[in-house]
Amino acid sequence: MTPVLAAALPAAVTSETRPCRSAMLEHVADGNGDPIAPAPRPTPDELLGRVGRGDRAAFGALYDETSPRLFGLIRRLVVDAAQAEEVTQDVYLEIWQTAARFDAAKGSAIAWMFTLAHRRAVDRIRSAQAARDRDLRIGARDLDVPVDTVAEAAETSVEHDRVRGALGDLSDLQRECVALAYYGGLTQREIADRLHVPLGTVKTRLRDGMIRLRTALGVTT
Amino acid sequence: MTGHDDELERGRRDAGARSGEPISVEAFHGLAAAYALDALDHDERAEFERALAASPELRDEVDAYAESAAHLAEQGEPVAPPPSLKARLMAELDSTPQVAADAAPDVPEAAAPAPPVAPTAPTPSPTPAAGGSDRPVGRAESAARRRWFQRPGAIIGAAAAAVVLIAGAVIGIGWTGPNGWGAQREMAAIAEAPDAQSQTHEVEGGGEVTLVSSAAAGRSGVIVEGLPALDADQTYELWYIDDAGADSAGTFDVAGPETWRVLDGSFTPGVAVGITVEPSGGSPQPTTDPIVFIPT
Repeated sequence: MTPVLAAALPAAVTSETRPCRSAMLEHVADGNGDPIAPAPRPTPDELLGRVGRGDRAAFGALYDETSPRLFGLIRRLVVDAAQAEEVTQDVYLEIWQTAARFDAAKGSAIAWMFTLAHRRAVDRIRSAQAARDRDLRIGARDLDVPVDTVAEAAETSVEHDRVRGALGDLSDLQRECVALAYYGGLTQREIADRLHVPLGTVKTRLRDGMIRLRTALGVTT
Repeated sequence: MTGHDDELERGRRDAGARSGEPISVEAFHGLAAAYALDALDHDERAEFERALAASPELRDEVDAYAESAAHLAEQGEPVAPPPSLKARLMAELDSTPQVAADAAPDVPEAAAPAPPVAPTAPTPSPTPAAGGSDRPVGRAESAARRRWFQRPGAIIGAAAAAVVLIAGAVIGIGWTGPNGWGAQREMAAIAEAPDAQSQTHEVEGGGEVTLVSSAAAGRSGVIVEGLPALDADQTYELWYIDDAGADSAGTFDVAGPETWRVLDGSFTPGVAVGITVEPSGGSPQPTTDPIVFIPT
């Protein structure tokens, strides 16, 4: 098998800055207090805080604001639409249940939510006896989604570009491993099997790739 | 230093998987990125989470990676879920209790040395237990928990009669227990809560454990029957177990045929309760296999 997904993540950012609607970059969003600007929409962090106090309206708003992103991620991993809905429902109920435990000092609300979503999606595909079938069925196809095309279709943001820039700091091999893990839902052992490389190599690529990503993103935060 | 020799890694993992031999701290830090990407398999994840529960540094590292991983998620294509999903979700909120913010396990013991004032024992009223209210969350969670302890157990649904029995039993036997009156009252309150649930599990090697819990009260307690007394250098330890690992919920010793104890920390529906035998004084993390494991 050839290296599957050199193209799964963009190598570098080439596009210039476009209008921003990032929920993750509050500091960009509320930049220079234009007095005429309408009241800014509450951020997921604010909404999640209110959800933790039992605010249903905030939960609804948080759902509206974030569910396309969470559902998009879950569906990409789970593939089956009905199962993706189930997982999404579980994730949001968990968010409702445990919102009070979210600690803003430890990270952003959206990262916390993505973590829950990714975990549950991965658990679903691994718990399903069909996990292997699914793996065979979709193979590299799903993982090979050209993100550049996606970016054209999706609403692009400064944040988006910033991450693509950061991803450019990873080596192709690191990006491949990170993508197989995160977008493919594979374990490090499965990645090693797929790429025919030793497990230790995969561990190293994942770790070094994530360190680079963290560093690149951290520098500009 | 960080030992990425493949043979070493494999040997260590194999050894760890077979005998529960601890993996070095360095190795855990090496796995933090894989953990944040959910690239560890079940056993590796469970082992990692036990280390995570004990290491704030590791927690910080994982949090940082999680933030980076979230950026990866943002690269994907948003897909609007069908509107019916939101409707279903909002309808579920009523039956989905929220946890309190102070879910930290460091709740001080309720057993303050209260003077043994003659209690006006609250008579348990036969409140119908909220049985059958299946929690929608947690299939994956409970699967994870089972993996953690590898000890599935049958769930016995709550019955109002059982709850009343338990409340009565608590009031009857509590005086000789290790807990003061405050804890006893709390135990009764849990059993009497409108949403109280109880489930009884047999203990391997003899005895029975009944877990009484109330999501509304955020508390739970156990009543143990027929458990063997331990040597002086050992104690039974209770654990709340969730995806993040096991949190100690206090220790107890068996003096008679029946003992009970209110668990330290907050009870959340979906959390599992386990009991292990630990060295006297208890352990920060379980060191033995559980004698009983009760998913909720």
